[in-house]
Order: sequence, then C-alpha cells, then structure tokens
Amino acid sequence: MMDAQLLISGVIFGLSIGSIFFLMAIGLSLCFGLMRIISLDQLLYYSVGAFISYSIFVATGNTWIGMFGGMAAAGLVSFGVERFVYLRIYERDITFTMIASFAILIAGVGAIKYIWGLVPRPAPIPIETQVSILGTAIPVYRLIVIGISFLVYGGIWLFLNRTIIGKAIRAGIEDVEHVEGLGINVYKLFTMTFVIAGTLSGLAGGLHAPLIMVDPQMGLNVLAFVFMVVIIGGLGSIKGTLVSAFLVGQVTSLGSLIYAPLAQMAPFAIMLLILLINLTGLYGSKLLKR
Amino acid sequence: MRNVFRWWWGILLAFLLLAGLRVFLPLPFANEIIIFSIYTMGCNFLLGRVGFISFGQPAYLAVGAYATAFYLYYFGTNPYIGILLGLLSGVMVSVIVGPFFVRLRSDYFALVNLALAVIVFYLMEKILAGITHGDNGLWFLTQMSSTPVLDLTKPSHFFIFAFLVALALWAFYKYLDDSIYGACCLATKINEDKLKFLGYNNFNIRWLAFVIANTTTALAGALYAVYFGFVSPEITSPARAADPVVVTILGGVGTLYGPIVGAIAYTGMKDLISGYIANWELFIGLLLVFIMLAGEKGIWGTLEPILKKDLFRKRILPGLRGKGDESR
Repeated sequence: MMDAQLLISGVIFGLSIGSIFFLMAIGLSLCFGLMRIISLDQLLYYSVGAFISYSIFVATGNTWIGMFGGMAAAGLVSFGVERFVYLRIYERDITFTMIASFAILIAGVGAIKYIWGLVPRPAPIPIETQVSILGTAIPVYRLIVIGISFLVYGGIWLFLNRTIIGKAIRAGIEDVEHVEGLGINVYKLFTMTFVIAGTLSGLAGGLHAPLIMVDPQMGLNVLAFVFMVVIIGGLGSIKGTLVSAFLVGQVTSLGSLIYAPLAQMAPFAIMLLILLINLTGLYGSKLLKR
Repeated sequence: MRNVFRWWWGILLAFLLLAGLRVFLPLPFANEIIIFSIYTMGCNFLLGRVGFISFGQPAYLAVGAYATAFYLYYFGTNPYIGILLGLLSGVMVSVIVGPFFVRLRSDYFALVNLALAVIVFYLMEKILAGITHGDNGLWFLTQMSSTPVLDLTKPSHFFIFAFLVALALWAFYKYLDDSIYGACCLATKINEDKLKFLGYNNFNIRWLAFVIANTTTALAGALYAVYFGFVSPEITSPARAADPVVVTILGGVGTLYGPIVGAIAYTGMKDLISGYIANWELFIGLLLVFIMLAGEKGIWGTLEPILKKDLFRKRILPGLRGKGDESR
C-alpha cells in the first residue's frame, strides 16, 4: 500500500505543518478564552511576521535574525491594533468584534500588497542539512519547527500555571468580573494576551515562510486550516488546540499521500464529524451562550 | 385598499428610485447593484433577523452560479431554466447542510461557514477541475439562446428581469417581517429560551431561515452567472468572503432597504477607488473598521429614523419601542 519511507516523511511533514497551525491557533484560542473575541486578524500578524522576516533576510542574509525581527514586528503591530481598535470594542457582541477583526485582516492584506507588491517571493531555508531517521532523509528544519512548537506549548503552560500573571489570565478565562473585583487591571491582561497571541502568530509566519512562498494572500490561504484547528479543538482550550493542530496536520499530510485532493477535504470531513458529536469541539467551553 | 397600498408603498417607492438609477447610471453598474443587493439580502436576513453571522455566503453564491453554469455549458441553452436550476440547487444544498450548521453557536457558525466557502473554492478550483476548467472558468455567453419576451442575453432586458426578481424578493422579505414566522426569527435571536417556552421549535425556525437566506444567495449567484456568461472559482475566494457582511453593515443590519443602499454605496466606492488605487482592500477594510468604531447602524440604519420622523411624521411612541424594535 504505502512504503515506510513515504509514511515516515508524511508523518514528519504532518507534524511540522501541525506545529505551524498550533502556533497560530493558540493565539485565536487564548484571545477567545480571555477576551471572548474571535480575532481573525491573527492571520494578518502571521503574514506580517513572514514578510518582515523575509525583508530582514534580504537585508542581512541571516534567516534567524529575520525570524526574530518578524516576531517583534508582529508583536508591535498587534499591540497597536489592540490599543487603537480592540480596546474600544471589547464590550460589544462577539459577532461584532469578529467583523471588526476581519476588517483589520482585509485592510492589512491590502497594506501588505501596497508595500511588497503582488509577486510571491521565496524565503530560503536556514538549515539545508538532512538527518536519517529509520532510513528516511528528514530535513532538520522541519524537526526544529516541531521542537519550537513544543517549546512554546511548554512555555505557555508554565506561564499560565506558574506565574502570577498567568494565573490571573486563567482566572480571567473563568470569570472576568471576579478578577476585576480582586483589583487586577484586566485590560492590561487583555493587552498582554493579545500581544502574546500576535507574537506567536508572527513566529508561525516566520517559521512557515521558508516552507512555502511568501505572498500577500498567505494569511487567507491558511485561514480555513487554522479555523478547523480551532473549531475541532474547541475555542478557548489550549490542550484542545494542540491535539487538534496535530490531528489536522496529520490528516492533511497523510490524506494527500493517499489521494492528493484529500488534503483539503479530509480536515473538513473530520471537523463536521466532531461537531456532530460535540457541538463545541473536543475540549470546547460551554460557558458562552449562543 | 388603503391598507394594501400602505403595505406596498415603501417597496414601490424604493424600487421606483432604483429604476430611476437606470436613467442616470450606466447599465452594467445598475445591473451589478441589483444583483449585489440580492446577494446581500440573504446575509442581511441571517445577520439581522436570526442573529447568525456568516462569512461563508460565497459558498452558496458559488452553488447557484455553478449549477447555472453547468446547465448552460453542458446541457441546455435556456437561461431561465439555468436560473431555476441554480435556485433549486441552492435549496438543496442549504437543506442538506442546514441541520449541521444551525445547531451551532453563532461564533462556530461563522467559522464553519467560512470553512465551507474555502472547501467549495478548492473543490471548484482543483478537485473538479475537469468539469469546471479550474481557474480558467466556464464561458458560455455565446451559448445562451435568446428567449421571447425578456431576452436575458441582452443587458437591458436582463436589467428588467433582475429588477422584477428583486421587487418580488423584497415583497417576500417584507411579508416575512410582518408574519408570525418573522417574529419567531427575531425571537430566536433575542431570547431563544423564552421562545422554546412558548412552544416553538428553535431548530426548525433557524433551519427554515437558513434555507431562505441561502436560497436567496444562490439566486444571486445564478443571476451573476447568466449576466456575465462566465463563472470562475474567483467568486468564492476567501478574500471576498467579507463582501456581503461588509455591505450588510454598511447599509444597516436588519433593515429592509439596507442591502440596496449598501450595495449602491459599496459598488460606487469600489468603482471610484479602483480608478485611483489598485488595491482597494486596504480602503474597504479601514472603512469597515471605522464603521464598527462609529457604531454599527450603517447608512440606512442612521437615515431611517430621521426620514420617518421628519419626512413622514410617523412617530413610534417611546413606550412601545422595545428591544425587538431596536434589534431590527
């Protein structure tokens, strides 16, 4: 049916794709959990991260510096957006903020087209070497991507469970009003969470850029997959996001080995299946009424 | 008789003005406005009446457009049958996917719909490329045969047809607003528990609303296909998923004439701006952010109370202005 080498490279490919999805979806998930917003503009910070890291690479010749620059730029942009737009509309209905965030995404894509033009650009892979796992040549870069995503998961876990601010954020996810009552400025927490989410999306963009071409529509291209990850995992759950990101990654990668168009269709089928069983995804919260 | 006139006069006045546009504006522009306002009406009904926000309207638009295109490209030549098939396929698709979608919470609903739009996009661009010709699209403008009375292959006749369709649709939606069913839709948006308590089935109400709205969208898709004589996956691309939502909000959510006003404003601006700047997404996005920050009433939503008060001397007693009226 399928030889072992193809299978192993397919699994590694799925894991690396899943890592990228996880880094992006975690931002959406955190924002939903704490602020009850669906921040579609995370996809903009992803594009910003990719483009800035590409530009810095062209200027300096070092991809790693580019990635850090992309992360920082994405964080800065998300900080600005949070200050100027979200701070005014947190109180509104969830659909309202979703439309606003979509507007920011569209405007940002327009701005990127204006600055960098429409042509897709190739970003180079920082490490070309390959290692052999069970007789299969695997690019080291993909392994590094997977490693970084697990580091981020560990970091987020430690941050939320071992620091005071993280604990405040977790308390805020349960009940914002009580946290406010304890004298904590929740809007600072909101800003911090949003910037963390934006920075992680930027990191995802910087990491993903060498694997694909950098083009202005890249945010809209991964949009569907990131949503599937968030929906399957359940909005607001970090563990669910990790599980579903790797699930979607594997389904995409292994599905395409069996029958190429399956790569786009299979995650959708799985999402429908899971939503049929559980309306709020695998680990979704039932806190919010419709 | 007087009551009948009072019921109709708003719609007739609006469409008289719309017909007046035909005199001042070039024909393609007027056609585009009419189709676009039909397209937006579906989204407006979902968002304003039932409280579902949908970023997946292009999916249903594509269903209608491709059903029409397949018929006209492979099987027949009569555009009327093509439009009818587009409408029927819209009903079919929304009846099938409806039960899965309407059970979801509003936020999940939006995301699932968006995912559906992307899936349809890939389906049409890659997987069914053998039938849909991928990005090249299907061209069938010359294959459509002329029909008696209203010849849809002529843009001027097409305008009359689209105009009549829109008039019928608006009368239908006004009828829905006045009916018990329309009140039920609003009630599911505001307080579904209470509606359940009164003995109504929330699920069925939402499902029917979903079918109505998406059939309207599919009809717009069929009209697009016949008007341009060309369909490509571009109409369902994720980049355009926000268009109907933007226009709905621009015009005023849940208002009857919002879609028309929004469509005129949006299409007009797009034409104006694209003359100066190549990438108008930036401007549309910023405009939408601005509207959201300024309050979500939209153009018609702001104008309507002023018109009612000053022009027609129609006053709503403050005591009667309940939550239901506000949410409209």
